[in-house]
Amino acid sequence: MEGTKLKVDRLTAYYGDNPAIREISLDFPERRVTAIIGPSGCGKSTFIRCLNRMHETGAHTRVEGKVLLDGEDIYDDDPVRVRRRIGMVFQRPNPFVTMSIYDNVSVALRFNGRHPREYVDQVVIRSLQQAALWDEVSDRVDAPATSLSGGQQQRLCIARALAAGPEVLLMDEPCSALDPLATSKIEELIGQLKQDYTVVIVTHNMQQAARVADFTAFIYLGGLVEFGPTEQLFERPKERLTEQYITGRFG
Amino acid sequence: MNEEPPGGPKIRAGYDLEIRHLKNRAVEMGDWALQMFHDGWEAFEAGDLEAAQKVLDRGAQLDRYDEDMEHAAIAFLVLRQPTAIDLRTAAALLKITTHLDRIGRLGFDMARITSPETSGDKDDLTRVLERMDAVVESMVRQALDALATDQVSLARDLFRRDDEVDQLHREANRRIIDLMVKTPAAAPRLAMDLLVARHFERIADNACKVGEKTIYALTGQRRSEYLPRHPVVPYVLEAPRKDGRARK
Repeated sequence: MEGTKLKVDRLTAYYGDNPAIREISLDFPERRVTAIIGPSGCGKSTFIRCLNRMHETGAHTRVEGKVLLDGEDIYDDDPVRVRRRIGMVFQRPNPFVTMSIYDNVSVALRFNGRHPREYVDQVVIRSLQQAALWDEVSDRVDAPATSLSGGQQQRLCIARALAAGPEVLLMDEPCSALDPLATSKIEELIGQLKQDYTVVIVTHNMQQAARVADFTAFIYLGGLVEFGPTEQLFERPKERLTEQYITGRFG
Repeated sequence: MNEEPPGGPKIRAGYDLEIRHLKNRAVEMGDWALQMFHDGWEAFEAGDLEAAQKVLDRGAQLDRYDEDMEHAAIAFLVLRQPTAIDLRTAAALLKITTHLDRIGRLGFDMARITSPETSGDKDDLTRVLERMDAVVESMVRQALDALATDQVSLARDLFRRDDEVDQLHREANRRIIDLMVKTPAAAPRLAMDLLVARHFERIADNACKVGEKTIYALTGQRRSEYLPRHPVVPYVLEAPRKDGRARK
């Protein structure tokens, strides 16, 4: 069994007085893909947003419990440093629309002190390559990010996240706004990314979870119902509730 | 947030109807196969060529059942992309139909080797074969019942009954060989009996496989989890029986 990269210990997250997730404990294995599934409103997105301290940026929000990255609680660390180590990709591609492809990727470095141009070039190229976008944009990195297709924009956002040098990559339904071809490219990319990163992906698409994830967690009504190897969860779930959800009997 | 009604989620039927329909078609195919086996044995035992021909003529329909089931199960897999119990059921049905096809096919084979030269002085052997037929037919029926009514216990009981068939099979083999030694002229006919005894044993095995796949569909458990196989050795190396005769 691989080591644990990210350990969640009795995590509860509130909006005002209402807990959106309750007492979730979960270990994310290093360099593996873990999918979070569950019906709309179950707390998946809230949960993943707690993993890099995004949740607390909202008004009247609060978190209890621990999130340990390599054994250190991220809630004792500087939030900016945490988000550099734990990157995030969102549901809709959100490139900086006024910036070029190049600048969208290098922006992470610019906020991170001054670097020689050669170094920035290297990081941009490597990030675009890792995001499987380089071959498609290598001759036009100065073009506006908005000239890219939706699928390319999403890979650009992945490249931007990678440029910050994260160890964990959180993806909140990264393919839900993409067509099947762009989706399959992102899925293929996720398979490659796990060689270097620990990936957590929230998805509504059961088959996507089955295709990309090594482990899957099912969350319902803010609580963790079941966590296990993806194959086991989809073929023979232990919990009746999991079975009812994944077979489309509710949700 | 949290829009589910109190008292748990609202449960929908999901693919229950489609799954039920698939299972019913498999059971229908199983009935057809069982009838072929039943009539095949009766034709063989009676040496009735006309009855045998009727069984042989049903082979094409068995093929159609097999192809239709495969098509329906694959369509379900592709169109619904099922998970958990639905996935296991579709996968199990793909295998179950293969076993049902074999059951019918073995009945077909009994009809194929039917010959008018049936009778002879072999009452003891006939009794063993008739006993095999009775047990094996009821096993196939039980396997189909387990599939039709989702009964794990009924399916599990098949493994116990299979042991009885194995014992009868060895008993039949022993008697046939004894008869071959005593009446060499009857050897061609006895060779057919040997085949039929073997067919019964194969049908019982296929019935067990249907039960095994039914259990998998319903529980996700594989055979090795509830019935580990014991080590086996060649018959001649097995301990002699209490009556001093070597086992055959």
